[in-house]
Amino acid sequence: MGRDAASDAAFTEFAVASRARLRGTAYLLCGDWSRASDYVQEGLIRVYVAWPRLVRRGGELGYARKAVVSAFLDASRKRSSTERPEPEQWDRSSDEDVANAVTDRAALMAALARLPERQRACVVLRYFEELDVRETAAAMRCSEGTVKSQTSRALASLKSMFEEASRRELLVGREGIVPS
Amino acid sequence: MTELQDLMRETVAEQPYDDLDLHDVMVAGRRRARTQRLGRAGVASAVVAVGLVAAVAAPRASSGDAGPAGAPDGTGTGGTSTTAPPSPAGPTLHLSDAVQAVEGRDFRVLATHTNQNLDGDNGQYFDGVTDDGMILFRDGPRFDQLYPRFALMNPATGAKTWLPRLNIGQADTMPVELGAHRLVLVSQGGVNRSGALIGHVFDRDTWQWSTVTWPSLPEVAGPTGVLGPDGRLYVPVLATQGKVPEGDWPLGRNKEADDSGAAGDTYDLWSVSLDDPSDVRDENMSVGSIAFTSTSMVWSDRTNGSGGLIHVRNMTTGDETTFDPQAGARCNLLSVSAAADRVVLDEFCGESSAGVRDDRIQILTTNGDQIVTIQDSGIGGGTFSVDGSDDVVTIFATDRSPALGTYAYDLSTDRFLRISHGMSMFSMGGPTPAGELMWSTAVNDNHGATQWLGELTP
Repeated sequence: MGRDAASDAAFTEFAVASRARLRGTAYLLCGDWSRASDYVQEGLIRVYVAWPRLVRRGGELGYARKAVVSAFLDASRKRSSTERPEPEQWDRSSDEDVANAVTDRAALMAALARLPERQRACVVLRYFEELDVRETAAAMRCSEGTVKSQTSRALASLKSMFEEASRRELLVGREGIVPS
Repeated sequence: MTELQDLMRETVAEQPYDDLDLHDVMVAGRRRARTQRLGRAGVASAVVAVGLVAAVAAPRASSGDAGPAGAPDGTGTGGTSTTAPPSPAGPTLHLSDAVQAVEGRDFRVLATHTNQNLDGDNGQYFDGVTDDGMILFRDGPRFDQLYPRFALMNPATGAKTWLPRLNIGQADTMPVELGAHRLVLVSQGGVNRSGALIGHVFDRDTWQWSTVTWPSLPEVAGPTGVLGPDGRLYVPVLATQGKVPEGDWPLGRNKEADDSGAAGDTYDLWSVSLDDPSDVRDENMSVGSIAFTSTSMVWSDRTNGSGGLIHVRNMTTGDETTFDPQAGARCNLLSVSAAADRVVLDEFCGESSAGVRDDRIQILTTNGDQIVTIQDSGIGGGTFSVDGSDDVVTIFATDRSPALGTYAYDLSTDRFLRISHGMSMFSMGGPTPAGELMWSTAVNDNHGATQWLGELTP
């Protein structure tokens, strides 16, 4: 069995163009660049398997994004219910870091680390990937109502934790309004 | 004030070096796609009950037939052949030799299930059939069902009895035992550097799931394992992989890379007890593909490339037979299946300069005698069972519109039947007991599929 070489070339072009963005998404989800690479790799493998159908239907990036988020959530679920993300897996994300954060980025990552995985995914998809509620629900395989409630809870927690750590106000949306 | 969106972008703007190798991604993707094709194959079409001809197809006696170019078999080392596909070593059938099956006379439908739109979301599937005839029915994971849930479905009534939740996230599962008292599925540990094989055992008497893991078993690439007649699960662990040649594989006329004649992969064979996590055994065997009959282990030297020799070992006496299947120099062995005294090899043997693929389902005795080879373009298949009991070779024809569909070669009667015309674009299916097979047909303009469970009449 062989794959179409032109199809492989198209996949490679897509992967090269999208990998940095996907890795950024994965990093915001997991807080660790190495694990982010793992999730991107798993996501791209899933994209490659589905590539012939994706090309015919379009939506390659959306599928890739969904695959990366799915890989992250899969891995999260597989940890035992009592296991939490190891602080050292996050870049500067311990309690102490939160208290002493001197940069907004560190404060952001520390605050994200404290969110439950699905809330974190909602925030990253809505505000980094700029997906709307419907697209986020599709990426996370949940209802739009779940996305709205999870995002709302996540933003409240995120703002509170961020502002406590950085002493600066965190705006969400250009007008301070959650995009619909 | 800090804007969340800007801050997220700044945070990921400077990324450390990324050593992701896209070649590795594509190799893993090819392997996964191929595994899906081999392990979960189940494609077909609407059942058309026409034709009243005799249901036994005599293999065309083409042994020694040199074929259009006079070549006894492909002798190239890759790339496209300059001739039409060479003839296999033994008697040969083509798809056009199949007799159209008639529902009610040649087979009967036991159950169907339709997913209207699998493009929109994942759906519900028949994942296999138990020894006592119940369908292992899987729902999800999908938008409104984040975790797969399983039921046992009575094919006669359609009634489903849902099993307690199996907490496996969205992991893929593969059934390795579907007994009247116990179901065993396996999954892989996950993407986060965990290739651990996990067994999920459902006790049908106590109606409870339990989990078994084997700490000393090496990591695997995905859900894998074959149940032996001794009750142990035999697990292949990747040892060596064939290399892609410099400059990649040559392109055929249809612009597909032609990797016929590839070097093949080898696996170290391990076995585990499904009851005792500490019972892990290195079998000290290098294998390609493996399968079991009710009494014997069957394996090739390599897989996913040139398969080498076929070995058959009686699990009780230890007696071993080795033979050359005479598959041809350009034939890649994709899978081995077995039933009773038959060995079934699924092979891809390259592409002719006219763009015709040479795909083969080669059926031999466990002594190496050629029974028949089904040769055509765009076919694949084998027997699908967890215990070597299935005596129906299911063949999926995916290439050409007129021949598109599912076919069945009955090992017990040598009938070669066309079960359906057309097929869905989705892979689904699972192991079945003797005499049964699964296929699927397209619905909703190919956005969905109907899955069928059928049984050949004696």
